[in-house]
Amino acid sequence: MNALSQTIISGLFGGAVYALLGIGLVLVYRTSHVLNLAHGESYAVAGITAAAATSHGLPLVWSIVLALVLSSLLSMALYRVVLGPRGHWPMSTLVLITLGAAFLVRGVLNAAIGPDPVSFAPLFRGPPLRILGGIIPLQGLMLIIFGFVLSLGAAMFLQHSRLGKQLLATAENPRAAQLLGINVERARLIAFGLSGLLAGAAAVLLVPLVSVDYQAGLSMTLRGFVAAAIGGMMPTRVVVSGFLLGIFEAAIGSYLGALYQDPVMFGILIVVAVWQSRMIRFGGARRA
Amino acid sequence: MKTANLTAMLSAATLAFLHAASATAQTSDKWIIAEVAPLSGPAATVGAQLNKVARLWAEEVNARGGIKGKKVELITCNDEGKPEKAVACVRDALRQDAVMFFAHSLTASTRAMQSALTNGPLMIVASPNIVPAPDTFTFQVSPSDHHITVAIADYVQANKLKGLGMIAATDASGEVGVESAQKVFAERKLDLKLRRIDLKANDSSVQLASVAGPDVDLVYSSYSGGGAATVVKSFTNLGLTQPLVVSYANLSAAFIEVVKDVMPKRLLGTAIKSLVPDTMGDAATAKRAKEFMAAYEKKYGERSDMINLLGKMDVDVAEAVLTNVANPADNQAVKKFLESTPIESVQHLKFSPNSHVGLTEKDVVIVEYKNGGWVRAAPVGAR
Repeated sequence: MNALSQTIISGLFGGAVYALLGIGLVLVYRTSHVLNLAHGESYAVAGITAAAATSHGLPLVWSIVLALVLSSLLSMALYRVVLGPRGHWPMSTLVLITLGAAFLVRGVLNAAIGPDPVSFAPLFRGPPLRILGGIIPLQGLMLIIFGFVLSLGAAMFLQHSRLGKQLLATAENPRAAQLLGINVERARLIAFGLSGLLAGAAAVLLVPLVSVDYQAGLSMTLRGFVAAAIGGMMPTRVVVSGFLLGIFEAAIGSYLGALYQDPVMFGILIVVAVWQSRMIRFGGARRA
Repeated sequence: MKTANLTAMLSAATLAFLHAASATAQTSDKWIIAEVAPLSGPAATVGAQLNKVARLWAEEVNARGGIKGKKVELITCNDEGKPEKAVACVRDALRQDAVMFFAHSLTASTRAMQSALTNGPLMIVASPNIVPAPDTFTFQVSPSDHHITVAIADYVQANKLKGLGMIAATDASGEVGVESAQKVFAERKLDLKLRRIDLKANDSSVQLASVAGPDVDLVYSSYSGGGAATVVKSFTNLGLTQPLVVSYANLSAAFIEVVKDVMPKRLLGTAIKSLVPDTMGDAATAKRAKEFMAAYEKKYGERSDMINLLGKMDVDVAEAVLTNVANPADNQAVKKFLESTPIESVQHLKFSPNSHVGLTEKDVVIVEYKNGGWVRAAPVGAR
């Protein structure tokens, strides 16, 4: 087995997850200016739903469909019921509300399925593939492909489609957007729904390779946030930063050791934040 | 007016005193047993399993009239696996006159509890990562991590293997496992290929690729909890064919359920012998183990696992102290009793003035998952 190839493969796994979660956070942030700390709960709900549904005899494909629908609905409900009616509240308060919502979902999941981790069978089965001396399971390959396609697709949609531009306009100037005939509420609801769907997709692709429990949400939000912050909350950059981050993290684990992963990763986040604020001060890049 | 106020204040103080005195009198009618366990957080699986056994025991004892005429009251505090919360739980339980503690939490929390209970009362520990000093009031029912590692080394040598590959987590428990492995394998002159894995990793293929080369005949993952599933799944996805030994804490139905779709060719584990009662020489002890397993299954509708057995030994130590020590609140008397009296549980626990660890490597068995259950592991052939 070639260590470098295996490191890159492992990094692409992580990168796909970073990108999918990061782009979901950016979608919501760029349309409502809210950092949704409950974003990872859509991941947890999707993973646990798919596991519970398959264990109750529902076919895998329908379990996955159900999981995706629920993850999307959860995110939309967060906006429709909790955040939307309080849109005039200070942003910091709304962020705290999303944190409260994350703990609420976590509590409900714990009460529903208990503390044990769960998982379900991979959708893509077959013998692992050998690529340049590295080994990759079929489900892992699909995680990378779907992760890349979905996150890049979401970024392109946001930046280049008419609806995507409308979504961005609702955050830049909601009143002007409304005067131009854009239904701001509807646009934000769509953004939250898509964001939940992407988190759900990350879950149905990744959970068969690992496991999920009721408290997985916040750590997934953190991963998405790291990718989104390094990408400057810019859709396409988040996809790139997500994948690079995954590869870099795997390389640290492989060549320096797992004990160095967190210090190095958060060190990078601080350096990037300082660099971005320096650019803003001197009129360079856009503020995240 | 001032006299009226003074009278009211004195009356209130008298009422408060009487209420407090009455509360103390109620407390003395029962044995307050404090349990500190992570019922939420990353180690909730372990905490919940130990808590189930403690509750089962309290119900059984109270159903038969209690001990020495007093009922058992179990007060469980959820520390979420956080040391600062564990210490707060200890302080709260001490205020309620707890006569002993079950430390059912993670390594870091249990260490914090030890610091808060240096002068007693009795603390019973179920984590193999804690080795209590003999001058403390802490007693360990599990074999230590060192004992478990020695049992693995024995198995490696009995199978004429040169060494093994090992994956350990980056947390405090992983650190204990790494120290034990480096010491034991160096003493035995066995090869050890070791890599650490971050607790939130999505994939452990890089680590496995570097420890499970063609010259390695056995791989050990000391990683416990849900993340251990990542190791098992990556192991199978890499197409590795060596037997994989998983940790003590993963020998549960819940863990098998998570990995059932990607089982390695041979899944082994470290366990105390009572998990496989037929491996025990002593018929009476094997019978106790089987009776406990049956009672647990009847109560909770699920098979008992390794963690439950450790919990059973905890409660048996507690019951022996409450039954046999004239004043269980006398810490020195409790210590002397436990250091001189073997405890009959699902295994024979034997503490001494030199060791507060009740079991040794002789009580550990390497097991294998076969046909829906754990049996003694078959030999591993060197490739």
